[in-house]
Amino acid sequence: MSTLSIPDIRLRSCTLDSLPRLQRLRTKHFADKDWPEVCIERAVRVTEYLRDMASPHDSAMLQYAKAVNHFLSHKAPLFFDDNLLAGTTTSHPFGAPVYPEQTGMSIWPELETIGRRGKNPQGLSDQDAEKLNLDVFPFWLDRTILEHARNQHGNLPCMKLFQQLIFFIASKAGCISHTVPDFNVVLAQGLEGIIATAKQKAAALGSGGSLSEKERGQKDFYESVQIALQGLIAYAANLSREASDQAAQESDPARRSLYLELAEICAQVPAKPARTFREAVNSLWLCQVGILAENINMAMSPGRLDQVLYPYYAADVAKGTLTPEEAVELVGCLWLKLTDNTNLVPESAEELFGGAGPVPAVTVGGVDSEGEDAVNDLTYVVLRATELLNVRDPSLNARYHCEKNPQEYRDRVCEVIASTRAVPAFHNDIADIKTLVNQGVSLPHARDYAIIGCVELSSSGRSYDASSSIILNLVAPLELALYNGQRPAVGDQQVGPRTGDPATFSSFAQFWTAFETQLSWVIEQAIELNEILGRTYQQIMPSPLLSGLFTGPLEKGRDLIFGGALYNSSGATQVGFADTVDSLNAIEHAVFVAKECTFAELIAALRANFKGKEPLRQFLLNQAPKYGTDSPQALENSQRLVRFLYETYQSHVNYRGGSYRPAYWSMTNHAGQGKLAGALPSGRKAAQVFASGITPVSQAATEVTSCLQAVASLGSCCIPGGFALNLKFPEVRDREQMTKVAEAVDTYFQSGGMHVQFNIMSYRDLMEARAHPKEHDELLVRVSGYSAYFNGLNDAMKEEIITRTAYDVDTGQALPLPPNARSG
Amino acid sequence: MLDAIANTLLFREARLHRVQGKFADCLRSEAAEGFLDLLLNGMALMLLVLPEYRRNIEGFNGKYLLKSRDGSITVSATFAKNRMKVSRTAVADPNVTVTFKDDAALRNFLLSEQPDILNSILQQLIEVDGNLNYIYKLGYMANHLRLAITG
Repeated sequence: MSTLSIPDIRLRSCTLDSLPRLQRLRTKHFADKDWPEVCIERAVRVTEYLRDMASPHDSAMLQYAKAVNHFLSHKAPLFFDDNLLAGTTTSHPFGAPVYPEQTGMSIWPELETIGRRGKNPQGLSDQDAEKLNLDVFPFWLDRTILEHARNQHGNLPCMKLFQQLIFFIASKAGCISHTVPDFNVVLAQGLEGIIATAKQKAAALGSGGSLSEKERGQKDFYESVQIALQGLIAYAANLSREASDQAAQESDPARRSLYLELAEICAQVPAKPARTFREAVNSLWLCQVGILAENINMAMSPGRLDQVLYPYYAADVAKGTLTPEEAVELVGCLWLKLTDNTNLVPESAEELFGGAGPVPAVTVGGVDSEGEDAVNDLTYVVLRATELLNVRDPSLNARYHCEKNPQEYRDRVCEVIASTRAVPAFHNDIADIKTLVNQGVSLPHARDYAIIGCVELSSSGRSYDASSSIILNLVAPLELALYNGQRPAVGDQQVGPRTGDPATFSSFAQFWTAFETQLSWVIEQAIELNEILGRTYQQIMPSPLLSGLFTGPLEKGRDLIFGGALYNSSGATQVGFADTVDSLNAIEHAVFVAKECTFAELIAALRANFKGKEPLRQFLLNQAPKYGTDSPQALENSQRLVRFLYETYQSHVNYRGGSYRPAYWSMTNHAGQGKLAGALPSGRKAAQVFASGITPVSQAATEVTSCLQAVASLGSCCIPGGFALNLKFPEVRDREQMTKVAEAVDTYFQSGGMHVQFNIMSYRDLMEARAHPKEHDELLVRVSGYSAYFNGLNDAMKEEIITRTAYDVDTGQALPLPPNARSG
Repeated sequence: MLDAIANTLLFREARLHRVQGKFADCLRSEAAEGFLDLLLNGMALMLLVLPEYRRNIEGFNGKYLLKSRDGSITVSATFAKNRMKVSRTAVADPNVTVTFKDDAALRNFLLSEQPDILNSILQQLIEVDGNLNYIYKLGYMANHLRLAITG
């Protein structure tokens, strides 16, 4: 039930002036953010253990647990500033950890130039570069997840297709991550409690030669959980000792006092139960550090912090030992810890993932497991900390149940969006819960969902969703259907099945069949590779530490990667949805309804990138039905595609026994993939960015109401992975306009929409930021499910955000795009 | 005997200077033709002469097959026993095969100022069949060579 006691939900008394520590840390964050330093500490420790110290008699599970323990036990205990929390992800104030098992090797060619590269340079000392080159990377040459899989299965066609990078991305080559752990147990019992449980479970199995193979596996698992978690306890103990040493040497009384507090906190948590709100926050943070010691820093999402931390907050407030203002400061300190790391990517990966951070998603609001209003004081504390700091991470998500949550909460979320111009994102509790229940999640567990990474849904700490397993480019199968199994971008090779020359098709249904055939084929390739990679993780890279922080693995005696969680799924997100739908609409209308051109003429125009075919292009752009409007034809095609994708994905069972969940969020893939795609029947020219997530094509949806209705009509149950809808308003000037936005969200959610996020900025604001980046260093924008600093994005992505349709708040009409909005 | 060794080393040094010169000319002119030969032979020579550079291949076993899309160029590089061998024939069972559109694509792939392997793949300038990690390693060695020569 809702628990509200703070008199001012806006917490206006908390400002950066009244909280100078946050002000200082925020200033430092912005000073550091353009110069992350590559951190090799984890890579060195994990490599030296597996290469030089691992026992061949240990199972892969034990070896990996011991490697994680080795790293955490030796991890440098560092204090860079006066943050109220102890622990750092890396050995730098703002660091990019190297995970050589996955994609870390991709920076090998750049080791000597990474600090000078044009896009997002990262610092790396000569000494560390040499260590990676001669000591670390050679060990992993044939041992990365992808290469281990290739060694076992051969160079399969699905691997070759993946390596072309323009059909689908098999994300497991780079990560699993993308999940929400369960922090309730560690906060209540401490890691020692979890270790004791694992020990008891192992003891209950007995020992010796009488154990079955399954029981031996369980025993290994329980032992691995203990070993990995003990590494985290050792790290906290080292932090405590170091803080004590620092205190002894510190002459400044305030700093000395801070060190002494941190020494005491780290002596208690996460090993033992948290006794205070501050200990709970620090325990959670140290667990996050531990999780990133084992798993790559991609979308490891802390979850519903206003629920998980609330008991500790309420107890301290009741005792008079904590004020809401102090809580804002602590949550702000956590925010600045969560943003202490970034991804290590080669320069060219910026083309696809430019500007993305580790995207640890935090969720607030919504209902509790009983279905009642869960908004509490801490919800508003979190919103205020977010509003004050306005930093990239964590990605904040506001759940909203329009029947249970108070209107003042909805309005407060809108205020924060207007104030930050970007965060948080809104999620519809009614649609999301219904969608999860439809996936077999029990109602109480569905009600306790949190957001992973961008927009993905997960029952907190119970569901291992690997929600970014596949990123599929829908335009690829569309082009394969247009060119009889070929794709111009890869020359004349026969990629997909031969589905016929569309010039011979006599109906739209024939083309649709060809498209579905190609789409199914690409999906099957992507799933085949995901299954292989998933099984490779089972063999060489389990997650015992993360498993210890989940509901299910300890009960089943099974690591998460073996299906230990209560619920399992794999996420498959689609890129280029709106461009694909508009192309289908255009083919149907131009070739088969209006007969403006033949299919052969259309394909010839596409091959020529509409050169000399401008009248046809204008027809396609202006006369063909558009997704995002109330055109029945467009609605039908979009709904049909979503249903087809849902049925196709859901017909597959993953290696953990879970389903494949289609989703529609695109990070920045829609920009990168768009730049690599040819002209499309929608009238889009070659090399233009695609629309993001599930958002209609720029300028296609001319009224915001129709746009919202079209998206809502897709039906959330067919989109169990979640979707990202981007809307842009130039400004929200006053309370009246804010109420209009809030009411639009209400109406959209009542129609079934799952998610919406806003950029409150005009075309001109963004063009100005592009033209004068230094003057807009802190400008935060929503991309496709996560936040990024506008000027950290690549040029294609900047253009996509600039050209997104902006709507007038008062009229709901699309505002015309300035002629010079596109860069070229 | 010592004279013979000294003589061989001197010749190596002389050859190295010659190759370095050609390589620097090639980089300055941005000419792509013959680049692959120059790169691999330059790399082989540097490995022979420079102990620091040789550390890159200590214990390293790898086979690379590089060929042009039109089939006019085929070059193999084999690393074994702390040596590098370059040949004009296709090596069996390579760890990785790179098919490049033309010399310029390969040069951009391996030796641009900002080595951009993924982007070359995305732009379909090259196709990689096999273990990409071996290409990353070769990319490092090529880039190191470029930096050593151009500063």
